[in-house]
Amino acid sequence: MPFREINSKMVEATVLPGQRLFSQRGAMLAYKGEVSFTPNLQGGQGGIMSMIGRRVANEATPLMSVEGSGTVLFGHGGHHVQVINLTGDTLYVEADRLLAFEGTLQQGTMFMGSQGGVMGMVRGQVTGQGLFTTTLKGHGSVAVMAHGGVFEIPVTPQHAVHVDPQAYVAHHGDVRNKLSTALGWRDMVGRGSGEGFQLELSGNGTVYVQASEEKL
Amino acid sequence: MFRLEGSKTLAVDLTGDAVKAKNGSMVAYEGQMAFKKMTGGGEGLRGMVTRRLTGESMAVMQVTGQGTCYFADRASEINLVSLHGDKLYVEASNLLCTDAGLRTGTTFTGLRGGATGNGLFTTTVEGTGQAAIMSDGTAVVLRVSAQYPLFVDPGAYIAHQGSLQQHFQSGVNFRTLIGEGSGESFQIRFEGEGLVYVQPSERNTIGGNV
Repeated sequence: MPFREINSKMVEATVLPGQRLFSQRGAMLAYKGEVSFTPNLQGGQGGIMSMIGRRVANEATPLMSVEGSGTVLFGHGGHHVQVINLTGDTLYVEADRLLAFEGTLQQGTMFMGSQGGVMGMVRGQVTGQGLFTTTLKGHGSVAVMAHGGVFEIPVTPQHAVHVDPQAYVAHHGDVRNKLSTALGWRDMVGRGSGEGFQLELSGNGTVYVQASEEKL
Repeated sequence: MFRLEGSKTLAVDLTGDAVKAKNGSMVAYEGQMAFKKMTGGGEGLRGMVTRRLTGESMAVMQVTGQGTCYFADRASEINLVSLHGDKLYVEASNLLCTDAGLRTGTTFTGLRGGATGNGLFTTTVEGTGQAAIMSDGTAVVLRVSAQYPLFVDPGAYIAHQGSLQQHFQSGVNFRTLIGEGSGESFQIRFEGEGLVYVQPSERNTIGGNV
Protein backbone atom coordinates (compact mmCIF):
# COMPACT_ATOMS: atom_id res chain seq x y z
CA MET A 1 0.00 0.00 0.00
CA PRO A 2 1.77 3.18 -1.01
CA PHE A 3 -0.80 5.43 0.73
CA ARG A 4 -1.21 5.53 4.49
CA GLU A 5 -3.76 7.79 6.14
CA ILE A 6 -2.03 9.92 8.80
CA ASN A 7 -5.25 11.59 9.87
CA SER A 8 -8.50 12.25 8.10
CA LYS A 9 -7.01 15.04 6.00
CA MET A 10 -3.47 13.87 5.17
CA VAL A 11 -1.99 10.84 3.49
CA GLU A 12 1.59 9.63 3.51
CA ALA A 13 2.82 8.09 0.31
CA THR A 14 5.86 5.86 0.04
CA VAL A 15 7.81 6.41 -3.15
CA LEU A 16 10.19 3.69 -4.30
CA PRO A 17 12.65 3.89 -7.20
CA GLY A 18 10.96 2.93 -10.42
CA GLN A 19 7.47 3.49 -9.07
CA ARG A 20 5.89 6.68 -10.13
CA LEU A 21 3.03 8.50 -8.44
CA PHE A 22 0.83 11.22 -9.83
CA SER A 23 -0.56 13.93 -7.59
CA GLN A 24 -2.42 17.18 -7.92
CA ARG A 25 0.06 19.98 -8.43
CA GLY A 26 0.90 21.79 -5.22
CA ALA A 27 -0.65 19.18 -2.97
CA MET A 28 2.69 18.15 -1.42
CA LEU A 29 2.96 19.22 2.22
CA ALA A 30 6.27 17.70 3.25
CA TYR A 31 8.66 15.00 2.16
CA LYS A 32 11.56 12.91 3.39
CA GLY A 33 14.29 11.39 1.24
CA GLU A 34 15.25 12.04 -2.35
CA VAL A 35 12.03 12.86 -4.13
CA SER A 36 11.59 14.92 -7.25
CA PHE A 37 8.42 16.62 -8.40
CA THR A 38 7.99 17.23 -12.09
CA PRO A 39 5.09 19.21 -13.39
CA ASN A 40 3.26 17.12 -15.89
CA LEU A 41 2.15 19.24 -18.79
CA GLN A 42 0.02 16.52 -20.22
CA GLY A 43 -2.09 16.36 -17.07
CA GLY A 44 -1.53 12.65 -16.55
CA GLN A 45 -0.70 9.62 -18.57
CA GLY A 46 -0.79 8.86 -22.22
CA GLY A 47 0.62 10.83 -25.06
CA ILE A 48 -0.23 14.09 -26.71
CA MET A 49 -3.58 12.76 -27.86
CA SER A 50 -4.69 12.01 -24.29
CA MET A 51 -3.60 15.50 -23.33
CA ILE A 52 -5.70 17.06 -26.07
CA GLY A 53 -8.56 14.80 -25.07
CA ARG A 54 -8.42 15.99 -21.50
CA ARG A 55 -8.14 19.64 -22.51
CA VAL A 56 -11.16 19.34 -24.75
CA ALA A 57 -13.08 17.48 -22.11
CA ASN A 58 -12.19 20.06 -19.46
CA GLU A 59 -10.93 17.27 -17.25
CA ALA A 60 -7.36 18.60 -17.22
CA THR A 61 -6.28 19.17 -13.64
CA PRO A 62 -2.68 20.22 -13.24
CA LEU A 63 -0.82 17.10 -12.15
CA MET A 64 2.77 16.44 -11.23
CA SER A 65 4.66 13.19 -11.22
CA VAL A 66 6.50 12.19 -8.07
CA GLU A 67 9.60 10.01 -8.39
CA GLY A 68 12.56 8.98 -6.29
CA SER A 69 12.76 7.23 -2.95
CA GLY A 70 11.28 8.49 0.28
CA THR A 71 7.95 9.44 1.77
CA VAL A 72 5.72 12.33 0.81
CA LEU A 73 2.80 13.88 2.70
CA PHE A 74 -0.17 15.00 0.64
CA GLY A 75 -3.14 17.15 1.59
CA HIS A 76 -5.13 19.93 -0.01
CA GLY A 77 -7.45 22.67 1.15
CA GLY A 78 -8.29 20.95 4.42
CA HIS A 79 -10.50 18.50 2.57
CA HIS A 80 -11.05 15.02 3.86
CA VAL A 81 -9.06 12.36 2.08
CA GLN A 82 -10.23 8.84 1.35
CA VAL A 83 -7.92 6.11 0.07
CA ILE A 84 -9.57 3.71 -2.36
CA ASN A 85 -7.84 0.48 -3.40
CA LEU A 86 -8.59 -0.83 -6.85
CA THR A 87 -8.15 -4.46 -7.81
CA GLY A 88 -8.67 -4.52 -11.54
CA ASP A 89 -11.91 -2.56 -11.67
CA THR A 90 -12.56 0.99 -12.79
CA LEU A 91 -13.05 4.03 -10.58
CA TYR A 92 -15.12 6.93 -11.91
CA VAL A 93 -14.22 10.23 -10.29
CA GLU A 94 -14.08 13.92 -11.12
CA ALA A 95 -10.55 15.07 -11.98
CA ASP A 96 -10.52 17.89 -9.43
CA ARG A 97 -11.23 15.43 -6.63
CA LEU A 98 -8.08 13.44 -7.36
CA LEU A 99 -5.36 14.09 -4.78
CA ALA A 100 -2.87 11.40 -5.77
CA PHE A 101 -2.81 8.04 -7.49
CA GLU A 102 -0.35 5.32 -8.36
CA GLY A 103 1.31 5.27 -11.74
CA THR A 104 0.24 1.67 -12.25
CA LEU A 105 -3.34 2.85 -12.79
CA GLN A 106 -4.54 3.62 -16.25
CA GLN A 107 -6.08 7.04 -16.54
CA GLY A 108 -8.76 7.79 -19.06
CA THR A 109 -11.59 10.15 -19.87
CA MET A 110 -15.13 8.97 -20.27
CA PHE A 111 -17.91 10.70 -22.15
CA MET A 112 -21.04 10.82 -20.03
CA GLY A 113 -23.14 10.22 -23.11
CA SER A 114 -21.64 6.75 -23.47
CA GLN A 115 -23.68 5.66 -20.48
CA GLY A 116 -27.25 6.29 -21.31
CA GLY A 117 -26.94 8.53 -24.36
CA VAL A 118 -28.66 11.88 -24.11
CA MET A 119 -29.83 11.22 -20.57
CA GLY A 120 -26.21 10.63 -19.62
CA MET A 121 -25.32 14.08 -20.92
CA VAL A 122 -28.23 15.63 -19.07
CA ARG A 123 -27.10 13.81 -15.95
CA GLY A 124 -23.60 15.21 -16.30
CA GLN A 125 -24.97 18.73 -16.53
CA VAL A 126 -27.34 18.37 -13.59
CA THR A 127 -24.73 16.83 -11.30
CA GLY A 128 -22.19 19.45 -12.26
CA GLN A 129 -19.83 16.77 -13.50
CA GLY A 130 -19.85 18.18 -16.97
CA LEU A 131 -19.93 16.02 -20.04
CA PHE A 132 -16.83 14.07 -19.15
CA THR A 133 -15.46 12.28 -16.15
CA THR A 134 -12.12 10.69 -15.32
CA THR A 135 -11.65 6.95 -15.05
CA LEU A 136 -8.84 5.08 -13.33
CA LYS A 137 -8.40 1.41 -14.10
CA GLY A 138 -6.10 -1.36 -12.90
CA HIS A 139 -4.44 -2.37 -9.66
CA GLY A 140 -3.37 0.30 -7.21
CA SER A 141 -4.57 2.96 -4.79
CA VAL A 142 -6.11 6.37 -5.25
CA ALA A 143 -6.46 9.19 -2.72
CA VAL A 144 -9.70 11.09 -3.33
CA MET A 145 -10.75 14.39 -1.71
CA ALA A 146 -14.18 15.22 -0.37
CA HIS A 147 -15.76 17.94 1.74
CA GLY A 148 -16.64 16.40 5.07
CA GLY A 149 -16.21 12.72 5.80
CA VAL A 150 -16.75 10.08 3.16
CA PHE A 151 -18.71 6.94 3.68
CA GLU A 152 -19.18 4.05 1.31
CA ILE A 153 -22.41 2.32 0.44
CA PRO A 154 -22.26 -1.07 -1.25
CA VAL A 155 -24.37 -1.44 -4.39
CA THR A 156 -25.75 -4.90 -5.12
CA PRO A 157 -28.17 -6.06 -7.83
CA GLN A 158 -31.05 -6.34 -5.35
CA HIS A 159 -30.13 -3.12 -3.67
CA ALA A 160 -30.15 0.06 -5.71
CA VAL A 161 -28.75 3.16 -4.01
CA HIS A 162 -29.94 6.72 -4.62
CA VAL A 163 -27.49 9.56 -4.09
CA ASP A 164 -27.89 13.32 -4.05
CA PRO A 165 -25.88 14.47 -7.11
CA GLN A 166 -24.10 17.16 -5.08
CA ALA A 167 -22.98 14.67 -2.42
CA TYR A 168 -21.75 12.06 -4.90
CA VAL A 169 -17.97 11.62 -4.83
CA ALA A 170 -16.99 8.56 -6.85
CA HIS A 171 -17.98 4.99 -7.62
CA HIS A 172 -16.26 1.85 -8.72
CA GLY A 173 -17.24 -1.54 -10.00
CA ASP A 174 -19.82 -2.57 -12.54
CA VAL A 175 -22.34 0.12 -11.72
CA ARG A 176 -24.89 1.70 -14.01
CA ASN A 177 -26.04 5.14 -13.05
CA LYS A 178 -29.14 6.87 -14.12
CA LEU A 179 -30.69 10.18 -13.23
CA SER A 180 -34.03 9.72 -11.58
CA THR A 181 -36.33 12.64 -11.13
CA ALA A 182 -39.05 13.05 -8.59
CA LEU A 183 -40.31 16.37 -9.81
CA GLY A 184 -43.90 17.16 -9.02
CA TRP A 185 -46.13 20.16 -9.23
CA ARG A 186 -44.67 21.27 -5.88
CA ASP A 187 -41.27 21.83 -7.48
CA MET A 188 -42.88 23.83 -10.27
CA VAL A 189 -44.42 26.29 -7.84
CA GLY A 190 -41.18 26.63 -5.90
CA ARG A 191 -42.24 24.46 -3.01
CA GLY A 192 -39.94 21.53 -3.74
CA SER A 193 -38.26 19.43 -1.09
CA GLY A 194 -34.86 20.12 -2.64
CA GLU A 195 -34.55 16.47 -3.60
CA GLY A 196 -35.86 16.68 -7.15
CA PHE A 197 -32.94 14.92 -8.81
CA GLN A 198 -31.20 11.81 -7.64
CA LEU A 199 -28.55 9.55 -9.08
CA GLU A 200 -29.75 5.98 -9.08
CA LEU A 201 -26.88 3.50 -8.96
CA SER A 202 -27.53 -0.16 -9.63
CA GLY A 203 -25.34 -3.16 -10.35
CA ASN A 204 -22.36 -4.39 -8.40
CA GLY A 205 -19.86 -2.12 -6.72
CA THR A 206 -19.39 0.66 -4.22
CA VAL A 207 -20.41 4.30 -4.19
CA TYR A 208 -18.66 6.97 -2.10
CA VAL A 209 -20.77 9.76 -0.64
CA GLN A 210 -19.60 12.87 1.22
CA ALA A 211 -21.31 14.40 4.25
CA SER A 212 -21.93 17.68 2.53
CA GLU A 213 -23.66 19.12 -0.46
CA GLU A 214 -20.82 21.41 -1.39
CA LYS A 215 -18.64 20.88 -4.41
CA LEU A 216 -14.90 21.17 -4.04
CA MET B 1 -33.54 4.19 14.54
CA PHE B 2 -31.29 7.26 14.29
CA ARG B 3 -27.63 6.30 14.12
CA LEU B 4 -24.47 8.12 13.12
CA GLU B 5 -22.39 7.08 10.14
CA GLY B 6 -19.14 8.75 11.08
CA SER B 7 -19.68 12.01 12.95
CA LYS B 8 -21.09 14.03 10.05
CA THR B 9 -23.71 11.78 8.51
CA LEU B 10 -26.98 10.69 10.05
CA ALA B 11 -28.46 7.35 8.98
CA VAL B 12 -32.15 6.80 9.61
CA ASP B 13 -33.74 3.37 9.19
CA LEU B 14 -37.32 3.71 8.08
CA THR B 15 -39.94 0.98 7.96
CA GLY B 16 -42.87 2.78 6.46
CA ASP B 17 -42.82 5.57 9.05
CA ALA B 18 -41.83 9.19 8.55
CA VAL B 19 -39.24 11.69 9.75
CA LYS B 20 -38.98 15.42 9.33
CA ALA B 21 -35.65 16.69 8.01
CA LYS B 22 -34.11 19.95 6.85
CA ASN B 23 -34.98 20.65 3.23
CA GLY B 24 -32.43 19.26 0.79
CA SER B 25 -30.28 17.53 3.41
CA MET B 26 -30.58 14.02 1.98
CA VAL B 27 -27.27 12.77 0.59
CA ALA B 28 -28.13 9.16 -0.26
CA TYR B 29 -30.73 6.48 0.34
CA GLU B 30 -31.30 2.76 -0.09
CA GLY B 31 -34.76 1.39 -0.73
CA GLN B 32 -37.86 3.41 -1.54
CA MET B 33 -38.21 6.98 -0.30
CA ALA B 34 -40.56 9.86 -0.95
CA PHE B 35 -39.70 13.48 -0.15
CA LYS B 36 -42.34 16.11 0.39
CA LYS B 37 -41.82 19.69 1.42
CA MET B 38 -43.82 20.74 4.44
CA THR B 39 -44.88 24.33 4.40
CA GLY B 40 -44.50 26.29 7.62
CA GLY B 41 -42.22 23.73 9.27
CA GLY B 42 -44.93 21.08 9.18
CA GLU B 43 -47.03 22.95 11.69
CA GLY B 44 -49.92 23.69 9.41
CA LEU B 45 -51.43 27.07 8.79
CA ARG B 46 -50.57 28.29 12.26
CA GLY B 47 -46.91 27.38 11.75
CA MET B 48 -46.91 29.11 8.40
CA VAL B 49 -48.13 32.35 9.91
CA THR B 50 -46.05 32.33 13.09
CA ARG B 51 -42.87 31.30 11.35
CA ARG B 52 -43.32 34.01 8.76
CA LEU B 53 -43.96 36.60 11.46
CA THR B 54 -41.15 35.55 13.80
CA GLY B 55 -38.51 35.14 11.12
CA GLU B 56 -37.70 31.70 12.55
CA SER B 57 -38.33 30.14 9.18
CA MET B 58 -37.61 26.47 8.83
CA ALA B 59 -37.66 24.65 5.49
CA VAL B 60 -38.61 21.11 6.32
CA MET B 61 -39.40 18.05 4.25
CA GLN B 62 -41.17 14.90 5.24
CA VAL B 63 -39.38 11.70 4.35
CA THR B 64 -41.39 8.50 4.19
CA GLY B 65 -40.41 5.07 2.98
CA GLN B 66 -38.73 1.76 3.50
CA GLY B 67 -34.98 1.46 3.86
CA THR B 68 -32.13 3.64 5.04
CA CYS B 69 -31.85 7.35 4.38
CA TYR B 70 -28.63 9.33 4.93
CA PHE B 71 -28.67 13.02 5.89
CA ALA B 72 -25.83 15.53 6.12
CA ASP B 73 -25.50 19.28 5.81
CA ARG B 74 -22.32 21.13 4.87
CA ALA B 75 -20.12 18.70 6.82
CA SER B 76 -21.50 19.88 10.17
CA GLU B 77 -21.03 17.63 13.17
CA ILE B 78 -24.22 15.88 14.21
CA ASN B 79 -25.42 15.24 17.75
CA LEU B 80 -28.26 12.90 18.66
CA VAL B 81 -30.72 14.01 21.32
CA SER B 82 -33.24 11.68 22.97
CA LEU B 83 -36.37 13.32 24.25
CA HIS B 84 -38.60 11.69 26.85
CA GLY B 85 -41.47 14.09 27.13
CA ASP B 86 -39.22 17.10 27.72
CA LYS B 87 -38.61 20.08 25.51
CA LEU B 88 -35.57 20.89 23.39
CA TYR B 89 -34.85 24.50 22.45
CA VAL B 90 -32.75 24.81 19.32
CA GLU B 91 -32.20 27.26 16.52
CA ALA B 92 -34.05 26.27 13.34
CA SER B 93 -30.80 26.42 11.38
CA ASN B 94 -29.19 23.89 13.73
CA LEU B 95 -32.00 21.36 13.56
CA LEU B 96 -31.34 18.56 11.05
CA CYS B 97 -33.90 15.86 11.63
CA THR B 98 -36.68 14.89 14.06
CA ASP B 99 -38.96 11.90 14.53
CA ALA B 100 -42.37 12.53 13.04
CA GLY B 101 -43.86 12.01 16.49
CA LEU B 102 -42.15 15.10 17.87
CA ARG B 103 -43.97 18.41 17.81
CA THR B 104 -42.10 21.49 16.73
CA GLY B 105 -43.04 25.06 17.51
CA THR B 106 -41.67 28.54 18.06
CA THR B 107 -41.08 30.37 21.29
CA PHE B 108 -39.97 33.81 22.39
CA THR B 109 -36.45 33.90 23.82
CA GLY B 110 -36.27 37.45 25.00
CA LEU B 111 -33.15 39.53 24.98
CA ARG B 112 -30.82 36.56 24.50
CA GLY B 113 -31.88 36.07 20.91
CA GLY B 114 -30.86 39.57 19.96
CA ALA B 115 -27.31 39.05 21.17
CA THR B 116 -26.82 35.55 19.76
CA GLY B 117 -27.65 36.90 16.36
CA ASN B 118 -30.47 34.41 16.16
CA GLY B 119 -33.41 36.72 16.35
CA LEU B 120 -35.87 36.95 19.16
CA PHE B 121 -37.48 33.58 18.55
CA THR B 122 -36.26 30.00 18.67
CA THR B 123 -37.61 26.58 17.74
CA THR B 124 -38.85 24.07 20.29
CA VAL B 125 -39.06 20.32 19.85
CA GLU B 126 -41.34 18.49 22.23
CA GLY B 127 -42.50 14.92 22.84
CA THR B 128 -40.88 11.50 22.94
CA GLY B 129 -38.43 10.46 20.27
CA GLN B 130 -35.12 11.38 18.74
CA ALA B 131 -33.80 14.52 17.14
CA ALA B 132 -30.51 15.34 15.42
CA ILE B 133 -28.93 18.75 15.87
CA MET B 134 -25.94 20.20 14.05
CA SER B 135 -22.94 22.06 15.36
CA ASP B 136 -19.83 23.64 13.92
CA GLY B 137 -17.23 21.30 15.43
CA THR B 138 -17.94 18.58 17.98
CA ALA B 139 -20.39 19.91 20.55
CA VAL B 140 -20.01 19.43 24.28
CA VAL B 141 -22.99 18.71 26.47
CA LEU B 142 -22.82 20.56 29.80
CA ARG B 143 -25.05 19.64 32.71
CA VAL B 144 -26.61 22.41 34.74
CA SER B 145 -27.77 21.69 38.29
CA ALA B 146 -29.46 23.91 40.82
CA GLN B 147 -26.25 24.81 42.67
CA TYR B 148 -24.15 25.34 39.60
CA PRO B 149 -25.41 27.83 37.07
CA LEU B 150 -23.69 27.81 33.68
CA PHE B 151 -22.50 30.79 31.67
CA VAL B 152 -22.33 30.42 27.91
CA ASP B 153 -21.07 32.67 25.16
CA PRO B 154 -24.11 33.56 23.03
CA GLY B 155 -22.22 32.75 19.84
CA ALA B 156 -21.30 29.23 20.95
CA TYR B 157 -24.72 28.24 22.29
CA ILE B 158 -26.65 25.85 20.07
CA ALA B 159 -29.39 24.16 22.09
CA HIS B 160 -30.65 23.29 25.56
CA GLN B 161 -33.15 20.94 27.12
CA GLY B 162 -34.72 20.45 30.54
CA SER B 163 -36.22 22.98 32.93
CA LEU B 164 -33.79 25.84 32.64
CA GLN B 165 -34.25 29.53 33.08
CA GLN B 166 -32.02 31.68 30.99
CA HIS B 167 -30.88 35.15 31.87
CA PHE B 168 -28.94 37.50 29.79
CA GLN B 169 -26.11 39.28 31.52
CA SER B 170 -23.62 41.81 30.39
CA GLY B 171 -20.25 42.84 31.69
CA VAL B 172 -20.13 46.10 29.84
CA ASN B 173 -17.92 48.63 31.62
CA PHE B 174 -15.99 51.75 30.71
CA ARG B 175 -13.32 49.68 28.92
CA THR B 176 -15.92 48.37 26.53
CA LEU B 177 -17.08 51.87 25.81
CA ILE B 178 -13.61 53.03 24.81
CA GLY B 179 -13.20 50.03 22.52
CA GLU B 180 -11.00 47.95 24.82
CA GLY B 181 -13.53 45.22 25.54
CA SER B 182 -12.48 41.60 25.96
CA GLY B 183 -15.02 40.35 23.45
CA GLU B 184 -16.82 38.57 26.26
CA SER B 185 -19.16 41.32 27.30
CA PHE B 186 -22.35 39.28 27.06
CA GLN B 187 -23.19 35.87 28.44
CA ILE B 188 -26.26 33.72 28.87
CA ARG B 189 -26.70 32.38 32.40
CA PHE B 190 -28.57 29.08 32.70
CA GLU B 191 -30.13 28.13 36.02
CA GLY B 192 -32.14 25.06 36.99
CA GLU B 193 -31.77 21.45 35.92
CA GLY B 194 -30.94 20.47 32.37
CA LEU B 195 -28.42 20.11 29.57
CA VAL B 196 -26.83 22.78 27.40
CA TYR B 197 -25.14 22.04 24.04
CA VAL B 198 -22.16 24.25 23.24
CA GLN B 199 -20.13 24.25 20.05
CA PRO B 200 -16.36 24.94 19.85
CA SER B 201 -16.90 27.82 17.45
CA GLU B 202 -18.51 31.21 17.73
CA ARG B 203 -21.00 32.74 15.37
CA ASN B 204 -20.64 36.41 14.61
CA THR B 205 -22.70 38.18 17.21
CA ILE B 206 -23.12 41.72 18.34
CA GLY B 207 -21.91 40.61 21.76
CA GLY B 208 -18.70 39.16 20.38
CA ASN B 209 -17.71 42.40 18.74
CA VAL B 210 -17.70 44.62 21.81
